[in-house]
Amino acid sequence: MKSKIITAIVALVIVALIGLGYYSSAQHRAEGHTTELNPKETIFEHLGDAYGWEVPFNHSARIPLPIIVWGQDGLHCFMSNRITGGETYDGFKISTSEEHHGKVVQVLDDGTEVRPWDFSITKNVAGLIIAAVLVALMVMSLKRWYARNGMKAPRGGKGALELVVDFVYSDTIRPILGKHSLKYAPYLLTAFFFILTMNLLGLIVIFPGGANLTGNIAVTLVLAVLTFLITTFSGTKEYWKEIFWPEVPMALKCPVPMMQIIETLGMFTKPLALMIRLFANMMSGHKVVLVLVLLIFIFTNLFGVGVGIGTSIFSVAFTLFMLLLDVLVSFIQAYVFTILSTIFISMALVEPHEHEAK
Amino acid sequence: MELFTPEFGLVFWMFVAFVCLYCILAKWAWPFIIKSMEERADLIDKGVAYAQEAKSHLDNAKAEADKLVAKARNQQADILREASKMRNELIEKARGEAADEAKKVAEAAQVSLEQSRKEAEKQLRAEVGDLALQIAEKVIRRNIAGDDAQKALVDQYLSEVETKN
Repeated sequence: MKSKIITAIVALVIVALIGLGYYSSAQHRAEGHTTELNPKETIFEHLGDAYGWEVPFNHSARIPLPIIVWGQDGLHCFMSNRITGGETYDGFKISTSEEHHGKVVQVLDDGTEVRPWDFSITKNVAGLIIAAVLVALMVMSLKRWYARNGMKAPRGGKGALELVVDFVYSDTIRPILGKHSLKYAPYLLTAFFFILTMNLLGLIVIFPGGANLTGNIAVTLVLAVLTFLITTFSGTKEYWKEIFWPEVPMALKCPVPMMQIIETLGMFTKPLALMIRLFANMMSGHKVVLVLVLLIFIFTNLFGVGVGIGTSIFSVAFTLFMLLLDVLVSFIQAYVFTILSTIFISMALVEPHEHEAK
Repeated sequence: MELFTPEFGLVFWMFVAFVCLYCILAKWAWPFIIKSMEERADLIDKGVAYAQEAKSHLDNAKAEADKLVAKARNQQADILREASKMRNELIEKARGEAADEAKKVAEAAQVSLEQSRKEAEKQLRAEVGDLALQIAEKVIRRNIAGDDAQKALVDQYLSEVETKN
């Protein structure tokens, strides 16, 4: 009985959404907008950042977000809805030029566009903040459970959260880092849950999701740099010795510092790999979904509505499959980032080898 | 390409957001959660160990109890055997004593019987002797030189008579 009611509600919602979508597109066409399809631009628009958050079934309306820029004449703050229509506000506008496409620029008196220091709360920044708040709420709720209930095992969502914490900490961090694990666990766990939350939020199409966060190289860059800094600053004497005077035949390190160059490069390639891996995995997942959805429109434009409907069946099936796969990938990539960071830190904490003492 | 050039603003906010999140969670959440989880894991491990120990104790206790019961049974059998032996001995002893006593009583009775018979015999002999003497005195009516010699003669005759009987 209950399941029948749920099924009916879901069906009603789907029908309503289709109707709403049809209505809005009809309205859109009636308003005289051209419906020129540019797949590449659409894909990059969805993968990239924006000064405003899309709302479903509306092509022009955006949730306004604050724009904070440090221009030539100091700080400017205003809401993004003042310029997203193409207007110029207070000397600022969203550029349409090749160089600064889609970014806020300051228009100088002579008409040249200059990029100011841009601290705007863009869609991605807002997404970041939402993800951070979500992670903080989740983790603090687990902590509150322990503070209140002591030894009792948490149930429901908190139980699932604890399972993941236990999986990451007890099965990954502790076996690798051993006695150092308590020192580095807060960073690694925070990174894991932040990445996981951002990954999963990115898969939700509408607000508060839909920001392609971990598929943005700036986000993964910060994470990788943090891991690099922690690795470098916790390096032991042995770690630096292995880089600058490794135990290899003298010919490999003395006249030409070959090993030193390789090891030094290795210091940087490890976090670089972290950055690229997370970025590329998440971005490609989003891209495939976007391409699959766009196929419907491309085929409709090329061969008409009939083919479009046929394509949509396959597209939706594959999109669903890809999104489910992305849920898995979200978890795997967050875990891979964490476990690799753990391994890099443990490599930096290396102690002198045993065989020397023997 | 835009995708591969990190945007300054986003890097800045990402750094701020991550560091804030890290500070909050590292200070108030993670150490506490990890400590609680480990404490609980220890508690569960201890509980399991305790239960195992208790079970082995219980098993041992059962074996021990069985052993005790068996021992008690043996003891009981021993005691019973001993008791029956003692009883038999007691009866045996009592019986022997009783027999001895009876024998003694019988012997005493025989002795006294013998004595009284001898006495009676002696008395009878004396009386018969006197009687015979009186008879003889009356028959013969004469004095015989020595009374004692006469008496010995009579006694001799009487003995002869007795042996004849």
